[in-house]
Amino acid sequence: MTIDEILQKLQERFGSNILKVYKKNDKRAYVDIYPKDIVEFTKYIFKDLGLRFNIASAVDDFDALEILYHFADDASGYVISLRALIKEREDPHIDTITTVTKSAWWIEREIHELFGIHFDGNKDLRPLLLPDDWPQGVYPLRKNFVVPKRDSRKS
Amino acid sequence: MGFREKILTRSLYVFHVSSGSCNNCDIELLDCLTPRYDLERFGIVLVGSVKHADALLCTGSTNRMCVPRIKLLYEQMPKPGFVIAWGACGSSRGLFKDSYNTGAPLDEIIPVDLYIPGCPPKPEAVIGGIKKLVEKINTTR
Amino acid sequence: MNILESLFQFLIFPGFIFSAVMGLLTGWVDRKVTAKVQWRVGPPWYQNFADVIKLLFYKETLIPVNVSKPIFLGMPLLSLASATLVSTIVLVINGKPGSGFLGDLIVVIYLLMIPAISLMLGAFASENPLASLGASREMKLMLSYELPFIISILVPVIKAGYAIKLGDIITHQALFGHTIASLSGFLSFVVMLFCVQAKLGFVPFDMAEAETEIMSGTYIEYSGKALGVFKLSRAVVLFILPVLMITLYFGGISSEGEAFIRNILEYLMIVALVVVIKNTNPRVRIDQAMDFFWGPVTLVAIGAVAFAYLGH
Repeated sequence: MTIDEILQKLQERFGSNILKVYKKNDKRAYVDIYPKDIVEFTKYIFKDLGLRFNIASAVDDFDALEILYHFADDASGYVISLRALIKEREDPHIDTITTVTKSAWWIEREIHELFGIHFDGNKDLRPLLLPDDWPQGVYPLRKNFVVPKRDSRKS
Repeated sequence: MGFREKILTRSLYVFHVSSGSCNNCDIELLDCLTPRYDLERFGIVLVGSVKHADALLCTGSTNRMCVPRIKLLYEQMPKPGFVIAWGACGSSRGLFKDSYNTGAPLDEIIPVDLYIPGCPPKPEAVIGGIKKLVEKINTTR
Repeated sequence: MNILESLFQFLIFPGFIFSAVMGLLTGWVDRKVTAKVQWRVGPPWYQNFADVIKLLFYKETLIPVNVSKPIFLGMPLLSLASATLVSTIVLVINGKPGSGFLGDLIVVIYLLMIPAISLMLGAFASENPLASLGASREMKLMLSYELPFIISILVPVIKAGYAIKLGDIITHQALFGHTIASLSGFLSFVVMLFCVQAKLGFVPFDMAEAETEIMSGTYIEYSGKALGVFKLSRAVVLFILPVLMITLYFGGISSEGEAFIRNILEYLMIVALVVVIKNTNPRVRIDQAMDFFWGPVTLVAIGAVAFAYLGH
């Protein structure tokens, strides 16, 4: 299946729930969606179309928090990314996709500890990479995080 | 420059520790053992256990989770032992100095005997650095 | 044979000092040949001496907290003592073939097992899970290679007229030709070459001390003096095993000029074979090693014994 066929199938299935489709080249495409639809999209892409869940990445745009879910087709080498924009910066929530694929568990732990986004339904959101004595509620990759001035002799 | 220093400088067993590096420095270390730059002719061997080591070679900018572990490794190295800080990240955390995860540079955690700058250091710089370490051992101990 | 003469033979020549020096030099030959095979320059001749002196005199010995000190520190000494004893016995008998005793070949075979067993005990006493892993691999490897080793030693014994004394094997070969000049002798020499490779702990059978895989396995907790003594005992074993092979297959070390030069060449040839096998092979898994030793190698050894019994 080429990337155009995948985009067309998504358009037929989901129609009005897709905000924007941006096809960058023959190997890369971005599809903007609402955060509430993420589980449905994942089920369709993962189970029916048979793409592999690659990784998720997150960015802090100044007015919203953005999560990208990347799905890859290993036979042809193209990657489709679903972009979900979360507008509430105070208490961001999104549904977890571990009900569809267990491989998303650890990346959701990482996004939770670095951005503060809570994944509803993921029962185990312990920190993954930050040290044990990192203060709660401080999320390093948000834009309003300031690196504390280095106190020499302490780490 | 006595017999003890001569023996210590002729056979250095090196234990390699990476505390959060991008692995470029680690590849460069293996590069120094290839036939073109051959570090084994100076007696330098990479060992598997820290208790066999004479020199602890640290690559990578020390991130917070590695700090207690690097201290443990330094204590487990039998003295007399030396510490070599490899690369820009080992010397001063390099371009990660304003990151949230690198608290202090390596020389505020364990005492460092040799800095080899570069990102990654060329093998010629490594050989020059080892020559300086040999001179330092011979003159100050 | 008074006490002073025995002590001199055990400690100085051809015992501890002589075997250790020759073993460290043989280790240097190994490193230099490895370097040349890899197109490198390689370390200078005094490298192994510098390593051992540094470990023995200038580094501190760290002992883990809960180990039993007699076993942890005594195993290196046991290993060195038994290797030196083997070296003394084999070289004294080579000098004077009449001075052995009945069953000295069996004593030599027993004593050659002790370095591996003491390494295992020392590793189990280290209280480290990686050391236990290395020790269990060493145990399985020992079970694998001891069988064809002992079967292949039967061939020189049979060819020398069922003689168990090393001195009789040497004198028989001086009169009737070397063991290796026959079909069974050649086959059993090949089998013993593989067993010696495993006994020395060289690639492809070095999975017990696997440097980067299990962080030096059995040696992981040893440092300073204990590690230096282990390295010395490995050097002595590296020296004495080719000498034993020369005794059994090439007629022993003789003291006349021309035959002595030939012996040195045979020694270097065996060491070079071991080093070339070491450099051209990857490390194998322990179950592959067991299949190898209990399968083809044992069958070839049994075949060699059958040929020797039939007179070939």
